[in-house]
Amino acid sequence: MKWLTPLGKTIVNILLLMFSLSAVFPIIWMLYSSFKTQKEFTLNTISLPETWQFSNYIEAIQVGKLHEYFFNSVYISLSSVFLIILLGFIIAYMIARFSFPGRKVIYILFMFGMLIPIHGLLVPIFIEFKNVGLLNKPYTLILPYVAFGLPIVIFLFESFIKQIPKEIDEAAIMDGCTTFQVIFKIIFPIASPVIATAVILSFLTAWNEFPFALVLIQDEALRTLPVGLTNFNGQYTVNYPQMMAAMSITVLPVLLIYLAFYKKIIQGMTAGSVKG
Amino acid sequence: MKTKSAIKPRNSKIYLYLLPGLAIYAFVVLVPLVMALRYSFFDWSGGPNMDFIGLDNFVALIQDDVFWQSFRNNLFIIIMSIIGQVGIAFLIAVLLTRSWVKWKQFHRTVIFIPNVLAAVIIGFLWSMIYNHDYGLLNYSLNAAGLESWISPWLDDPSIVMASVTIPIVWQFIGFYLIIFMSAMQNIPDELYEAAKIDGATSWKQTWHITMPMLKSTFRVAIMLCIAGNMKVFDHIFVMTGGGPGSSSTVMAQYAYDVSFNRFELGYGSAVSIGMLALSLGLILISQIIGRGEKE
Repeated sequence: MKWLTPLGKTIVNILLLMFSLSAVFPIIWMLYSSFKTQKEFTLNTISLPETWQFSNYIEAIQVGKLHEYFFNSVYISLSSVFLIILLGFIIAYMIARFSFPGRKVIYILFMFGMLIPIHGLLVPIFIEFKNVGLLNKPYTLILPYVAFGLPIVIFLFESFIKQIPKEIDEAAIMDGCTTFQVIFKIIFPIASPVIATAVILSFLTAWNEFPFALVLIQDEALRTLPVGLTNFNGQYTVNYPQMMAAMSITVLPVLLIYLAFYKKIIQGMTAGSVKG
Repeated sequence: MKTKSAIKPRNSKIYLYLLPGLAIYAFVVLVPLVMALRYSFFDWSGGPNMDFIGLDNFVALIQDDVFWQSFRNNLFIIIMSIIGQVGIAFLIAVLLTRSWVKWKQFHRTVIFIPNVLAAVIIGFLWSMIYNHDYGLLNYSLNAAGLESWISPWLDDPSIVMASVTIPIVWQFIGFYLIIFMSAMQNIPDELYEAAKIDGATSWKQTWHITMPMLKSTFRVAIMLCIAGNMKVFDHIFVMTGGGPGSSSTVMAQYAYDVSFNRFELGYGSAVSIGMLALSLGLILISQIIGRGEKE
């Protein structure tokens, strides 16, 4: 007995296709509209640009200084990722391999970090950073990004390292490796698949982060892209195509990374939740 | 369990290795958490004058209508997300197991895309979609001959919560879709084969096999909905800033307004503590209810 007629199946297929397209169409609309003039856009919201012109991008950079925000975002994100992976891997290794007093507590403390809504810490962290003079420094944002990035990465690394046989470490020690060498010369390369996932995930999180970048940085020259966009929006509220050009600059690196690594991203983003 | 092994370094050495990461984590997460508790007992606008006022901030918080309104708005978003994200994602995940559904890989890849974009981008994008003169939404309504449906989507207090919730739900459906899809792969095929032999239709199999087998996945998904939407901020900050009035304020937005627009850092800390307590409370309750169902 068939529940759906062939016609019904076709309709469901079409509905599903429409749903999928609705997930990307706004993004595609943003990308092509960024090549339209303001006038073209107001005349017809949805049409393709008559001539594909780059003036919105040029102005976003010349007037909106988007390249400065872009550089800041790249620098902050990459530094954070480097530290998250380095520190996270060491911690995960120690927790996975050895028993020592406080091991459980440390692990639980980090896992607690995945649970609490970090936005509740926005105000207290601002006060703390203000008190110790850490606001508006080139490295200000790296601290919270590393702290918020560590829990998920430690979780991913720890469960991976546990599955690597201990004999490998022992053999390396016998051959005269130090602990540091065992971690980074022997285990790190073996863990490269999960490290790749962790790198991409931490990068995306840092690149997209908004509230802490908004609150901890007031200096124009240190702003990252998401906050830069809100400035940009304040100055050019009416000029949608130009705003869309600025948004496209922010989105393009993410889209390219997604298209290149979507399997790893999907795996990594859901790994924590499925196992948990 | 004590494992004596040749490779284990001295404990002091282990702590030395752990120190840098732990120090940053403690400085950013643990210390502020404790300090927030302290500040919440003071009347303080960030200057040198800090007046200890005991529990006054919390008494004010309990009587603060805007705070509870923002909490209700968070709850609204959570409920809509559980219905919208978990519901739609599960439906699509089930459809994607059917042999007659086409372009499976395409659907999976495409529906996940909004998930990787910055919430700020989603917020701006949907402000544009909702724009009165040039927005996609009103354009489509016009084209469909539904001019009478056109509304000030983000400026009408009675519909603004629905308007800001849709993009939030929309952005994360892909995430839950993937969770359900990978959980479904872990259901043994034998169960379905046995059901097929017994003559169960595919929808009966979904109801009697897939749904019960995914109970723990549903529980995790609902918990993630709660945890994720208690901290929602970026979308709303960009789309409405909590307005008009305070009609679309959420707790994180309210803590931000109190602290950085009104400069009441003491009260802002109390709002933050309230937000943390309510979030952890809700997560705990959902876990307990989930556990109870299991047994």
